[in-house]
Amino acid sequence: MYEILIENIFKKIVLNNDEQQLLKTFFIPKKLRKKQCLLQEGDVSKYLAFVEKGILRSYTVDEKGGEHIAEFAFEGWWIGDQFSFLTGEPSTYNIDALEDCELLLLTKQAEEQMLEKIPKMERFFRLLLQNHLIATQGRLVSSLSNSAEEKYKQLVNACPTIPQRVPQHMLASFLGITPETLSRLRKQISQRK
Amino acid sequence: MATIKTIAIIGASGNMGSSIAISLAKAPYRLLLFGKEEKKLRSVFKEIKLINKLVNAEVIGCAADASWEADIIIAAVPFAAEKELAEKIKQVATGKIVISISNPLNDTYTGLVTNADTSAAEELQNFLPHSKVIKAFNTTFAGDFSQPVIDGKTVDAFIAGNDEEALQTVSDVVRAAGFNPIKAGALAVSRTLENMQALLIQLSIKNNYNWVAGWKILHN
Repeated sequence: MYEILIENIFKKIVLNNDEQQLLKTFFIPKKLRKKQCLLQEGDVSKYLAFVEKGILRSYTVDEKGGEHIAEFAFEGWWIGDQFSFLTGEPSTYNIDALEDCELLLLTKQAEEQMLEKIPKMERFFRLLLQNHLIATQGRLVSSLSNSAEEKYKQLVNACPTIPQRVPQHMLASFLGITPETLSRLRKQISQRK
Repeated sequence: MATIKTIAIIGASGNMGSSIAISLAKAPYRLLLFGKEEKKLRSVFKEIKLINKLVNAEVIGCAADASWEADIIIAAVPFAAEKELAEKIKQVATGKIVISISNPLNDTYTGLVTNADTSAAEELQNFLPHSKVIKAFNTTFAGDFSQPVIDGKTVDAFIAGNDEEALQTVSDVVRAAGFNPIKAGALAVSRTLENMQALLIQLSIKNNYNWVAGWKILHN
């Protein structure tokens, strides 16, 4: 239940056995079924979720009811509305499960307690936030300049199984293109191989 | 619109568990029912569906799976079975609300089997040190759930626990079940609450209340 989390943490820091056992006591193990939601727009994001199994997406809904996917999170990734989580302000995002998921949830309070009891985790979260910042800025730049093809390749590179696991229209929404354009794009990429 | 909370009722085929489940049929929760008597569990599920065709409820074949999926776990089992249940769900109950409903009565209902310096709720908290144990539904008879208004007054239901947010969440569940929730204090107050129910049981036997009776604080 905690294997991928521990593995993920060990990429950045090393915890001894006692610390690993203690670490587990701060996370809420939560199963989420496909289509169930973790966060709804207007609610405060109470949790940062670590994905042990499954895929989730975060998205916004425009005035016409159109969904715009901001992020996917799969095994080994964290998801949550950081802004809402940190400020306590209502979230503008929705997060739901695209597959049956096994999550580990961290509340603000549990996070504070964990950082106090396992100071090494400060470093882990600092590095995590740094990466998040880099990814967010990178995404901003790529959404301005990169072609949809580059963005698609980046996504598949990060999670090779994602084209089989996520419906095409959602991938297209994430890339900001129509499903037809995505279909053409995929054909082009596969022909070049 | 708030995210719907999932409640696992462990022991939903029992008297108390089934009464709680049925009382929450119209409440805005997702219900996961686990119980040992499969036939009874199916009939409880059917009854819930009859009350609310659109109810978000499901029968789950394993206590640990139901608890894993839940935000709130109701341990609707007798005091003697709590330790065994705690061992089954311990791994998936971290950080979650676990409701202790039991009264540790002796065989003759003349008193409690727990020592004066503890309670069933506190013992459950010891078994589940990383969960938020809340005492609730122990001062209400199973029969009260189908008629939570007695003699024109809504029966009070006392709640005790150490986590303020969890107390509020359980308070909402108790209200949804039809009772008037009263936050009685910290988890140690469960000692008093469990003794109150021992008294109510003794009086029910003596005065023939027919197992529909409850506590009500009269105040201005």
